[in-house]
Amino acid sequence: MLIAMKKATLFALKEDRDAILLALQKDGNIMLISEGDKTQTLEGADKVGDQIAKAKDALKFVDLHGKKDSMFASRLPVSYDSFLHESKEGSDLADQIEALSGKIMSLRNEASTMTSQVDALQPWTDLDIPLEQLAPTDTSVYFAGYLPELEKEAFLEDIKELAAEPIVLKEAPEGRAMLIFCLKEDAARLKHFLKAHDFTDVVFPKRTGLVSEIAVDLTEAARVKNLRADELEAEAKKIAESKAELQLYYDQLTAKEERLANGGVETEKTFYMEGWVRNDRTVQVERAIRSVTDAYQIEFNDPAEGEIPPTEMENNSFVKPYESVIELYSRPQAGSIDPDFLMAPFHFIFFGMMLSDAGYGLVLTIGLLIAMKLVKPQGFAGKLGMVILFGSISTIIWGALFGGWFGLELHPLLFVPMKEPLKMLALCFGLGVLHLVCGMLLKAYMLIRDGDVFGAFCDEISWLIMFAGFFCMAFVPGPVGKYLALAGAAIIVLTGGRDKKGIPARLMGGLLSLYNISGYMSDLLSYSRIFALGLATGVIAMVINTIAQMLMEAGPVGTAVAVLVLLGGHLFNIVINVLGAFVHSSRLQYIEFFGKFYEAGGKAFVPLAIRTKYMNVTK
Amino acid sequence: MITLGTALAFAGAAVAAGFAGVGSAVGVGIAGQAGAGVVSEDPDKFGNVLVLQALPGTQGIYGLLIAFIIVLNLGVIDGNVKDLTTFQGMALFCAGLPMAIGGLMSGIYQGKVAASGIYLCAKRPEETGKGIILAAMVETYAVLSLLISFIMVNGVKL
Repeated sequence: MLIAMKKATLFALKEDRDAILLALQKDGNIMLISEGDKTQTLEGADKVGDQIAKAKDALKFVDLHGKKDSMFASRLPVSYDSFLHESKEGSDLADQIEALSGKIMSLRNEASTMTSQVDALQPWTDLDIPLEQLAPTDTSVYFAGYLPELEKEAFLEDIKELAAEPIVLKEAPEGRAMLIFCLKEDAARLKHFLKAHDFTDVVFPKRTGLVSEIAVDLTEAARVKNLRADELEAEAKKIAESKAELQLYYDQLTAKEERLANGGVETEKTFYMEGWVRNDRTVQVERAIRSVTDAYQIEFNDPAEGEIPPTEMENNSFVKPYESVIELYSRPQAGSIDPDFLMAPFHFIFFGMMLSDAGYGLVLTIGLLIAMKLVKPQGFAGKLGMVILFGSISTIIWGALFGGWFGLELHPLLFVPMKEPLKMLALCFGLGVLHLVCGMLLKAYMLIRDGDVFGAFCDEISWLIMFAGFFCMAFVPGPVGKYLALAGAAIIVLTGGRDKKGIPARLMGGLLSLYNISGYMSDLLSYSRIFALGLATGVIAMVINTIAQMLMEAGPVGTAVAVLVLLGGHLFNIVINVLGAFVHSSRLQYIEFFGKFYEAGGKAFVPLAIRTKYMNVTK
Repeated sequence: MITLGTALAFAGAAVAAGFAGVGSAVGVGIAGQAGAGVVSEDPDKFGNVLVLQALPGTQGIYGLLIAFIIVLNLGVIDGNVKDLTTFQGMALFCAGLPMAIGGLMSGIYQGKVAASGIYLCAKRPEETGKGIILAAMVETYAVLSLLISFIMVNGVKL
């Protein structure tokens, strides 16, 4: 059900503000409202933002160089008191890692620049002229660059008539490296030939010595830099072992950021804050503040006209996991209804019918129990896991009823859907009718609760009367059914257009309302997907078994492959069909069921609380 | 001996599996291209992306299902292929058609919706659920095709 919210208004002294925020965060029951520009973010909020970014980068670096966390890493417990004291060690670690990673990156960059320079110089290593001497003289000039290999012969022919001296060096991807000297007077003609043969100029780096020596020096320097970077990385690996401190630091910083985000509206000595508190938690909130100071004033009021409080749902532990299904769609609007208690059993049943293989249900149940014991997921993921766990139990039940065990047909307690499709369809449509009727009854309840009894009668009860009429027509002999159906239809036609003015418009409205029957028909047909999905699981399992059987007839090698096929195939089938069963069970709730009564658009209730990514804070 | 009827029944199984498979392949492929783009920017989203990419894959499975049931009813698995009359064969061919055509088109379009869902998840990772629901809406038509194909195949008594 939806919990009523109260709006809290708090006045207190600024000198107590930090302690009050800390106490409220520990209590975790109030969602602070921001007043837009008037709200003061507390001092240090920007700094914390930067610190968090630094810690995040440090954690990423540590993950890169340290041991990978196993998939099932659980959260480390830490006491609340230790959580309060900001980890100096964590802060130091973050600084150290920032410096280290910066150094490593610059070293690697320098080394790679040097290596690429060496590569560029490779074709010129045979040059026996030291670079500092390579310059024009009084009478001659030189050109250095690359000539495409194909042009070389033609080019050498062309320049024979000039007083030019080509020095042909190694080949490179850009072409043949060449150095050409010529007399100043011939420079223009040489340039013409160079252009004609696609010569590209090259500029040498400003270094002294032979190219070969320079290359050796650069390679050595790059090697030294890389070695140093390796040393630093080894250091980083050692630091990575203190990952836990860094994670603690990160969690502390995020909690601090949340605390500093909203300081309320302030004056010189006092501040004022508003927040939403659950109806049943107002005592705790006041106690948290009183533990800090008695110089405060707090008031709890119902939300004013037009104010929309956030939505929080409360359910017993069987229904609670199904809140995740609602959260995936959209929370109910404040003041409407939380349909979880009805939705949960239907979701449970539909999931089981769609997966419908008891063997898969067993595997899934055992697998999930082990996984959840190891990982202990919290919050949304935890609820989702429980939904699938319940679903897998449902699968065992329906699998036993339909006689599906890993694709084999064994002892169906009810009937086999594949052999009697019409019976199965009848079951699906029957459940569908039940589902839709529940939705309509819920809408009628909501209307009556809001005082619109006449509306409930005309819009919902009338349809129920008509459906009861159809039901009787099919199963109960005599004219009872016909009269009921006609009565229901009459009410719909006469009252469907009651918001309109004038008899013809009202009748038109009524007839149009009656036309909604097509909507109900398509909703009902939608439930046939339960049969289709259950069928899909069963037949694919059968296919896998058949293939394995065929392989087994091929001797021992075939048997070995068959075992692989069985394991892999059934696992694949489970994964695909769990996804399908969840998505379609949920979809039936969202579209067919919720379509009858649901008011979406609720805001999430996110109180100021300690929310950690890595640690598990125990109070 | 393979009669014309048996051959037509084989054709029905072939189109059901083949076209529905094409639909899924194209759909999953389109979604996968979108997914690769998103993961290249943010590798952490891979899990969400994979779930969305898998959604259009069901049409191929449904097509295989129908083909398998036709083939099973023909006796191919045990090795004794039945002789069908021409009309029985035509009936089975027509029974495979809804899954073939429905699976083909719904698979392709579900893939496009899944790709858009992947872009949605890139901008707002917390709303991935809504992207999944949007893609699942298209699946309704694949399910309806599966259903009617199954009922029709079941109705041909061999």
